[in-house]
Amino acid sequence: MNKIFKPLLTLFVLVGLMSFQGGDTILCDAKQLKEKAKEGLDPYKYDSSELTRIMYKTKETVKEVEVPLFIGEKYRFCFNMEALPKAVEIQIYNKSKDSKNRKLLFSSKEGGIDRKVIQFEVSKSRQVYIDYIIPPTETGSYSGCAVVAIGYK
Amino acid sequence: MIIKKITLPILTAAIILTSCGDNTEKQTEVDESKIDSTLTAVDTTAAIEEDHDVTYNLPSALHIAYVFKKSGSAFIPTLLNSIDNVNKYNTSNYKRATNFGVYSSDLAYCLFNKKFQESKNYLKACKDVGSFLGLNQAFDGDNMAQRFDKNISNEDSVVKIVSNIQLKTDVMFEQNKQKHITVIAFAGAWTESIYIASEAYAKDKNKKVLTNLLEQLLLAETINKALKHYEKSEPEIVNLIASIEKINSAFKNIPAVKVGLEKDEDVDYATVTVTESEFKTLSGLIVELRKSITE
Repeated sequence: MNKIFKPLLTLFVLVGLMSFQGGDTILCDAKQLKEKAKEGLDPYKYDSSELTRIMYKTKETVKEVEVPLFIGEKYRFCFNMEALPKAVEIQIYNKSKDSKNRKLLFSSKEGGIDRKVIQFEVSKSRQVYIDYIIPPTETGSYSGCAVVAIGYK
Repeated sequence: MIIKKITLPILTAAIILTSCGDNTEKQTEVDESKIDSTLTAVDTTAAIEEDHDVTYNLPSALHIAYVFKKSGSAFIPTLLNSIDNVNKYNTSNYKRATNFGVYSSDLAYCLFNKKFQESKNYLKACKDVGSFLGLNQAFDGDNMAQRFDKNISNEDSVVKIVSNIQLKTDVMFEQNKQKHITVIAFAGAWTESIYIASEAYAKDKNKKVLTNLLEQLLLAETINKALKHYEKSEPEIVNLIASIEKINSAFKNIPAVKVGLEKDEDVDYATVTVTESEFKTLSGLIVELRKSITE
């Protein structure tokens, strides 16, 4: 019997160890993440959603999502930050990161950046820019993703 | 012998599992393609790995139509792209994607004008073109067709059903690493939407329709920035960008728009005057682009 079970046990251990190879990389299940973000839009109607891949590096980096809007419409943004191994700050501006005189409209620091679901509402804007401020890591090279769903009414 | 019989499948499983270890999305992708065999309809070699510092979240055709309806424009059925054209578009990913967008806009236009039977026909057109893109699963799940029929005269419910389909298609493109198809489809949807708005304005000269058209034209720049990320993914994208750029230039050359943009001010498009000749130039370019997509 040992002849059968020893190699089997070795293989299971091997599979177990190898499946943890990814380290702090978190599963980015687009379907689950977007559906959960969409739930947070109610009573707003779902418009669109964006999944942003977040790569942690040894220095702070920024990933930006440009969001065109229709002026006069009311929007709700719902962020799902569950699939991130380390908290990422969300900042929302009226202009892109290359612009000089941009205005900060929202920061997830108010209320804590550790929150997994974050909401933001806006109207009277033609465009907003979501900046994900990705903190540096000592080890680098692990990843996750941030999702935003946008709704209108 | 027994050991060999047992260990071989386990070893295979171990290799499969660990090869997905570094990229969990790959694992999801494999699972999805097992569920929907039609995914092979799309050329999977076109899957694009992306890691851009800036990305673009484009609105849905549904939302654009919702905003357009507020302008009070009457429904003009002759502006819609005929559903009889569906089979013409199964020639390239570009043709499939742009016309998927065109039909999505037509569906949304019908929906917000409470043309529910027409909406059903255009949903079918979206489903048919969507099947060429491997999107069957997005349209077939959750008894979508039955729920649509059951709620056909209830705008809110039907809009919810269509929004759910849209979310599913977004997710499928994401999982298949075909984000470029979403952008191309949106370019098609936007083209159809500005075509409807410009033709509606040409007919009725309703100032609110013109204001909405100008607001929609503001999207041109963002669409082109998004398309430029995927310039090499489909050969037709370069020409699409050039056509959108022509429309954008004509729009930005309207004096009141030009002044506002130069001053980096938010222009109130309700107060912008467009001369007959400026409008003719714009609408001519829009018709040309729409024709290149749908014919």
